[in-house]
This record gives sequence, C-alpha cells and structure tokens, in this order.
Amino acid sequence: MREQPMFKMFEEFPDETTWDVVIIGGGPNGLMAGAYLAKAGLKVALVERRFEVGGGLATEEIIYPLYSSNPHVIYHMMVDYMPVIKDFNLDDHALVWVKPNSQTAMVFEDGKSLVLTRMIEDTKDSISKFSFKDAIAFGKVMRSWRRIVSEIVAPATYIPPMSPIDLSVAMQRTAIGREMLEMVERSPLEIINDVFENDRVRTLMLYSSCMWGLDPRETGIGFFVPLLLDRGMNKCLCYGGSHKFAAAMAREIVRNGGLILEAAEATRILMSNGHVEGVLIGHEERTLKAKVVMSTLDPQTTFFDLLGRDKLPASLKEAVEGWQYDKWSFYTLHVASEEAPHYACDDPWVNEAFMTIFGLESVEQLLSHWDHVVKGKIEKHFGGHATCESLFDPHLSRKPGKHVSFFQMHAPYEIEGGWDKRARELDEAILAKWHKAAPNMKKANIIATKSETPEDIAIRFPNMRRGGIKHGDYRPLQMGCFRPNQECSSTRTPIEGLYVCGVSTYPGGLVLGGPGYLGANKVAEDLGVKKWWQPTAEMEKYVKTYLT
Amino acid sequence: MSKDERYDVVIVGGGHNGMTTAAYLSKCGLRVCVLEERTESGGPCETVEPLAGVRIYPHAMLMYGAPAPGFEQLELWKYGFRMSWTPFDLIKSMGGVGQPTSAGIEAPHPKDMEGFAKLSGLASATPFLQELLRATFWCPPHPPEVEVTDDNVPYMQVYKERQPDVWTPELREWTMFDLVDEHLHSESVKTMLAFAAWASGAAGHWEGVAVPSYLSVVLLLLPGKMSIPRGGLHGYFHAIHRAAVAHGTVVRTCCPVDEILIQDGRAVGVRLRETAASGAKKIWANKAVIAAVDYKQTFLKLISKEHLDSGFIQRIKDISLKGGSLYVSTLHTRKPLRWRDKFRAMDETGIGPNKTPCGAVYPSDSRQIYYENVMDVDGRKGNPSIPPERLMWFLTPSQAFDPTDCQGHHPKGYISAAFEVNVPPPEYHVDGPEAIDKIKDKLNAYMRQAFSQAMEGMEDDNIIHHWAATPYEAEFRHSGLVGGTWCGTRHCRDQLWTQRPLPELARYRTPIDGLYHCHQTSGHPGALCLMAIPYNLMHILIEDGVAQPGKWWYPSPWYIPQQGKISAIPPK
Repeated sequence: MREQPMFKMFEEFPDETTWDVVIIGGGPNGLMAGAYLAKAGLKVALVERRFEVGGGLATEEIIYPLYSSNPHVIYHMMVDYMPVIKDFNLDDHALVWVKPNSQTAMVFEDGKSLVLTRMIEDTKDSISKFSFKDAIAFGKVMRSWRRIVSEIVAPATYIPPMSPIDLSVAMQRTAIGREMLEMVERSPLEIINDVFENDRVRTLMLYSSCMWGLDPRETGIGFFVPLLLDRGMNKCLCYGGSHKFAAAMAREIVRNGGLILEAAEATRILMSNGHVEGVLIGHEERTLKAKVVMSTLDPQTTFFDLLGRDKLPASLKEAVEGWQYDKWSFYTLHVASEEAPHYACDDPWVNEAFMTIFGLESVEQLLSHWDHVVKGKIEKHFGGHATCESLFDPHLSRKPGKHVSFFQMHAPYEIEGGWDKRARELDEAILAKWHKAAPNMKKANIIATKSETPEDIAIRFPNMRRGGIKHGDYRPLQMGCFRPNQECSSTRTPIEGLYVCGVSTYPGGLVLGGPGYLGANKVAEDLGVKKWWQPTAEMEKYVKTYLT
Repeated sequence: MSKDERYDVVIVGGGHNGMTTAAYLSKCGLRVCVLEERTESGGPCETVEPLAGVRIYPHAMLMYGAPAPGFEQLELWKYGFRMSWTPFDLIKSMGGVGQPTSAGIEAPHPKDMEGFAKLSGLASATPFLQELLRATFWCPPHPPEVEVTDDNVPYMQVYKERQPDVWTPELREWTMFDLVDEHLHSESVKTMLAFAAWASGAAGHWEGVAVPSYLSVVLLLLPGKMSIPRGGLHGYFHAIHRAAVAHGTVVRTCCPVDEILIQDGRAVGVRLRETAASGAKKIWANKAVIAAVDYKQTFLKLISKEHLDSGFIQRIKDISLKGGSLYVSTLHTRKPLRWRDKFRAMDETGIGPNKTPCGAVYPSDSRQIYYENVMDVDGRKGNPSIPPERLMWFLTPSQAFDPTDCQGHHPKGYISAAFEVNVPPPEYHVDGPEAIDKIKDKLNAYMRQAFSQAMEGMEDDNIIHHWAATPYEAEFRHSGLVGGTWCGTRHCRDQLWTQRPLPELARYRTPIDGLYHCHQTSGHPGALCLMAIPYNLMHILIEDGVAQPGKWWYPSPWYIPQQGKISAIPPK
C-alpha cells in the first residue's frame, strides 16, 4: 500500500499514464531505443529498476569514499561504428572518447612483454621480439581481418540477422565474404594456431579473441576472432566514466519529450486480448499503458517472470526454457593506490596500456584456467587483465594524485569452496601476482581494495543471471538469427506489441549498440513512424554489396 | 572539437541548486548551460552502491523540501517525481516512545506534543504549517534599504497573525533552547532537538536563530514525514534535472570551471579546466553567470583577485564553517544491530523488513551533555576527547521501508542506518585538516564504542564492514562541501537571512555585475535541498531583467521588491 502524506504539498507522478512505447530496462540498449523513438516523435517512457540508468554503463564509487570505478563496461569497442554516435549530437553532452595507441599489453614472468596497439606496425614491432614470422603473419592477416570487420561484421551488427543459409549465399559474392565464411567453421584456437607459431603470441591472441566468452575450441563462431582482435585494438574509454554515455542518451530521451523512471521495477507486462497493454511497477502500483513494450531483459525474466509461461506459444516457451546463460562470469578486484601500477618489463608502452594481462605464460596455462573456470574452479595458475582507470581519466579519483585500478579475471558463478571463502584467498593471490608483475603494487602503496564476485554482479544487475554479462552464452545456437531464438531475433516477438532488444537479442552484448538500434528500427517500421535517421555509410555499402 | 560557445546563462555547478536554477531559467526560455566537475551531477543528492546491493546516501537522505513552490512551478511530477512514504507513525512515536538517555528511555510528556504542534502551526483552527515554512525559507531576504523589524520578518508576521501567543518581541533574539523552554517540557526532547539542529547548521544554543533552527527539524518531521523520494534524494534530483533538460538546458559533467571570465567588471563567461571533457574550453554567457558552487571557490579561486577588494576577501575568508561537519558511519553486520534492553521500547521505531533501528539522538540526557559535545568540537577544535559513553550521536532515519531500496533484503548480513557524529571542520583542526583522516581506524573503533552504549551488535566479530566518511573526505568528494559541513557554513544569525553570508551578498548578487551566487554555503536559507535558494534567486533575476517567467510564476507573499528594480510580483 502506498501511504498518503500527512500534509499533501505537491503532486506526484500519476498512478496511470499512457504512452506509445514503454521500455523496460535502462541499459545501453534501452536508452538507445528510447532516444531514437522519442526523437521520432513517439511518446516514450523508460523504466529502470536501479537508482540510476546505464545498466553496464556504470561508474560507481566501489571504493567508498573517494574512488570511482567502471565496474562493468570500460572497454568500448564499437565506438567507430555505432550509428548512435553519429546520429545524436553527443558533443553537446561533452562526451569524449579516449583511444590509447597502447591497447593491450601482456607481461610475462621473465620481464618480457607483448603489446597490441591501435597501429598495426607497432604491434608487429612488439611481436617481432618473439617471432619475426608471426609479426609478418599478423600484418598480413590483419589486412583482410580488418576488412572483414569494417565491411561485413561491423555493419551487419546494425542490420537484422539472416538465416545461416541466406548468409552463406550472400557472403559468396566477395572474396572476403568467402574468407569470413571459412573462418566461421573453425574454432578460435585453430585459427590462432594456424596463423601464429610463437606460444606467447598465441596466448595473447587467444586471450584477446575469447576473453568475452567464446569457447576457444568451439566451431561456428570463428568470425568473432577478427572482430574481437580488431576491436580489441580499438577500444575506447569514455572520458569521465562509462556512465557518461548513458547519461547523455538519457538526456536525449528527455530532451525529446520522453520520461525516465528510476527505482521503478517492472513487475508485470500487462496483456489484453492477446496484445500487450502496458507495464506494471508493482512496488508502487503504477501502471504505464502502451501500444508497444520493449524489454531489454534476459529471455527468462521477460517471458517467464514478467509475461508468464501461460501466455507463451509452445515453441517460444520451449526456446526460452532452453536458453543457456553465460558459461563464465568475472571476478574483479578494485584497488585504490598511491601510484599507478608500474610493470617491470622490457617495454615502457606497457605502462601506458589500456589493458594489461598478466599471470598467463602459455596457451596451455590459459586453456587450463578457462577449463577450470567452466568446472567451477580457480586454480593457482590463474591470470587476467588489469586497467589503471585514473591513468586515462582524472575524474575517477577524487583525491588528487591517487589512482584507481582493477584486476579482472574469468570466474564461475558457483565456485568450489564458495565465494565467501574463495574471495578472500583470491584477493591475496591477485595482489601477490600483481605485486610480482608491477613491483610498486606493494602493500604500503595500496590504500584500499574491494572485490566483486559473480554473485555481486547478479545482485547489482539481477537480469545478468548467474553473473552473465551478456544475458546468455555466446554459442552458435544462440547467435545470429538464433539470438535469443528464431521467433524473436528480429526484436519483434510472437506476442503482439512486445519487442525484445537487450543483449540476449541479436547481435548481442558488449555495448555494440545493436539490439537497441534494431529494436528502434523495427518499432518505427511497425508503428509507421518516419525514421529521422539514415544508415551509416558502412551499412549502406554492406547492404549494396551483399543484400541487394 | 567544438569552438567556444555562447549561452544566455552559464551555471557553474550541477548540484540541486544549480540544476533547479537551470530548470527555472530554461523554463523562462533562456538558453542555459550547466557545468559540473564530477562524473555525475546532483551534488550531495547522491546514491552510491559500494557493495552490490548496499546503498549509501553519503549526504542528503530525507525529504525536507516539501513546501517548495518548485514542485508546482517546475511540474516535477511530470518528470517522474514520486515519493516513498514511510509507514512509520511519527506522532505516535513521539507521543509514545520517548527519548533514549543514558539512564534509559525518558517517557514523553503531553506538553511536548502540544508545544510542538503549536510552534509548527498545527494548533490553530486552520493549520498554517506550509505558510510558516514558506515564510521562513522560501522568501528572498529583504533589500538593503528596508530596515528589518519585528513587523516585516516573514515568520514573525505569520506567528503574529496566526498564533499570537507564540509571537513575542524577543522571538527574533532567542536561541532554540529559549524557544523550547517556553513551549516544551522534557529536557531530553529539547536536547534531541538542539543536537539535531546543530548537525543541520543552526545549533540549539545560537542566538537569534530559534525559529529557522526549530523549523529546519519540522521540515523533516511534518511535511517530509521522514520520508524519501523514490530512488533517494538523487531521484528527486533526477526530476529537477529532467525538468531542466526538457526545457533545453545543456548539462555537461566532467567539466570543471577554472575561472569566471570578467570583462569591464562584468561576468561574461567561464573558462574550463584543461582536463575538462568539453572541447570548448571557454563558454560565454550573454546575460548571467551563476556560481552554484561554494563561496570559497567562487570568490577565492574562480575570480581573479584584481576584481575584488581586500576587505571583502578577508570577510569571505572569515565566514564560519562551524556546525555540521559530520563523521558518518554505516555498518554492515553479521547479526542485526539491536537496542540494548533498557531501550527495548525503541524497537517500535525500527523500519523495514529487518526492523532496522533508526531515527534517534543518544544520549539525550540534558543540555549539559550537549554543551560538552559542542565544546569538544567547536571550542577545543581537536580530535574527539569525550569519553565514548558521553559522545552524542545521531542515528538517522532509515530508508529500509522503501521496497526498491535493497538494504532491507541484502542477502548477506545487515545494513545499518547512518550514524552521524559532529567533529571539527578540517580547516579548524588544531593538527591540520588531515588529522581526523589519519586516525580513521582508531576513530571508527571509538565511534562503535560510543554506539555500543545503547546498541548491541557493535562487537568486532559482528562487523563485516564499517564505511566511514570524514568531513575532509566529503570535501574531496564534493568541492562545494567546504568544511565538510553538510549544511554549508554556519546558519548563525550573522550568516543568515539578510546577513547570509555577508550583507552585500544576501540578495544573491555579487560585487561583479552579471554574477550571482546560488549555493547552500552562501545563500539564504542555506541547506537541506529545498529548491529555496533558486526560488529566492528567481526574484532577483527578475528584478535585474535577466528572467521573465510566464504565468506559472508566483513570488513569495512576503517578498519586498528592491527600489529601482523590476518587481518580481507579476502585474495584475
């Protein structure tokens, strides 16, 4: 029951309102969908369970007080391609992207290092320390992989998915299309092993290709290797914190007449005569009626918890039941320190790197770490990646001169021994490894630490079930037109008026900006609203080459 | 990269005061740009989640601003403003439970409730609570040519007309103790009120601020009902922010201002710090620059000294920061905290699914203990030296009644309400500003010892984590919280109303033409996120021809226009 004030002095938001579109979830995709549609003249409301929109686009004072971190999204890989960046005047919100040349470093116990840079020749220089042949191979392979990304995979991210057969037919039209198709059939491990001979180079390449959740030995997803390597060399940091991107999109919604409600948990998608009717905010008994409801949540939350199993056609129910959540999550240790980590190694660029991998000496060790994670274990020889956020962004440390960093590694949702016990052990082990790699990360320089387990991810963001950042595993049967299932991958669902456009919908997660954009397109088309935006030049070229 | 930009009004600081002003001015049709140095706007209206599922409200926690005309004028409901009303029955509690003192709970006396109701405007046939509060907080100070008298101080006018037996010629001279001695009975209630007021900026023993001091507590208890907006005070800020954005305000975070640009004695724009996110480092203002940051930054850092006289600068430096520098603790415990046996009746005031103890001042024995604490903090200016059993602390009301607030159902352990203890402003600490921070672990243990006088569960093995923020840390977190004072400088008689913070600044104008101030440290009525400073400032901006509001505008009924200016009272 809502209590009435003793002395009513002001109006509150009404108990019942009517909208064209209600969006559930204020993560990147919900915000983007809302911004496009509000600017198209639709009456848009977005409801978000947390106290702040952004979802993974979060910048939070994890080490309270004084030190903010990007506990979730920090590496923005699709800034070069996302239509939203060009379609909105984000300069107005002072949105600035920082893309360091030194992108990903890997340091080894013997003090040697590898650096993956934005500029190909710099990477080749680094690889040549280990293998001249691999350096040449890298240059050569990136020549076509970059094209695969810029001409096919990146633009296709913002175009509705095709069936595998249609895709194979389309890709036959060009040489790089055919090359990409060949890669699809091979596992990341095969691809990397074929191209590179040196084990350390392979370790870096494999980590970079699979770190966001690819099974290194699985076939059918090989096109991710060029994508994640190329994009891994073009990661951007959102200056001022990732949340700034979310805040800018939220203001675009409001500026165009839309509404955002935070601390408003959708508890029910309302139906009437087989059509969606709106959304109920159960805790406050408020109803937002709408012609269209767009959910950005994971399939089981959307279809089972909010809609109800009894409302679903049998095939959809089966598909949602069969949905597989991510095979691993992340364990992150946030650290505030007197100095930025200074790695003892043979290349000063490592200390300027956006991401630094340590603890992994070989492909064997990397595979063994990942195999253990899938089995619910973290053994002694673990490794992961670290970033000193304040190195690039002075806004995150409120105490001048102090630094804030994190170390992150793959981790199971359920761990042998339980997280309460293992977290403490791991924190010590991580700090010991970090200290070994970067001698100034000694106890005297550590101001405070705070770790976040996969369980914590699921508490912060309940629809990242089991700590899964992508709302569902990347596996062939959950990708492309199968994400989240064939009936819903266009973002339109068999339930009239209900659309899905979160990261469990094609093309997936990692702030691609795909699902929200595609959802907005589909809803605009279905409601007969004129689109004020145009496809990007890359998208137009892709459509012309492969789809017409 | 953008070129230099131009707006009608540039507002330095995106806290609630800056943003409310932006909402008002953009609603008047002006082009407004708000520049905020932090990653998120909102100032002290903020929520942090340092541990998944645990929210901390580092500063603003509760709704004080209910009587604000801004709710209506800015139509905050339209932008999603909702409340979460506590089911807690304050009146029943005040009349039923009593105050915790070191000897146990002191039972309430009927005269306390009667006096409380009378002073709050509830004892007359037609209650005048809103009128009284608006008169005190939502009215710009009178212009300098008007002599302030018993007849024109707004709250004096209201009492005289509506509750004449409260009015006396001395009312303006009294301390809050004088006021409550006259109308209330129990020493423990008076002590509680004085302490609560000390932490809120106008202490119980300060001369001449009896009514504002008393009513600052009333704001929370009656119209605010110790409740919170949905999503905390940051949720309230969201509605203000969105009202501004919907009317066209451009908001930029991570854009610290380094200088207010002055040409021919007039503020014409600002220069951003080199590290600012914006490509444009100079932003020009056609009509006004509004400093919604503290008076120290405004006059000592952002304005080149060549534009200000030395006497003025000295008096700016002398503005007192005393009162309200708080050391705040939030505890994460294995077993829930509970009142000790002799305070068992306090359990009734617990909030939320875990019946979280909250909303109490301990030990509320007498003004003697209050004075001891005041002396230790404001007189002695050092690390706390009071024995823990005599240290006074304020356990804030809890938000755990709000179903969207996760602390009530955190899966591991229990989250306390915030405990607040007054410590000296870092600037005045005899051992330097870092003194308190250097002994934080020791102080945490000392504080827990003090809390344990009345509460069970403070044992070391029951504590999972003790989050503490010192006043100095508060200043680093928000550069506008000078002195770590939540309430923004002392609300004493020499720094309130027509004297706040200095007589020549009282009407929100500054010695620089085109530059106005709009911050809790420098404007009447000060703190508590009331939307009052922006509302009051609006009168002045209308007087100066900067703003021309539409039909939605109404001025304070007690406002007196300045001679030679445009009146903020719309023509009939």
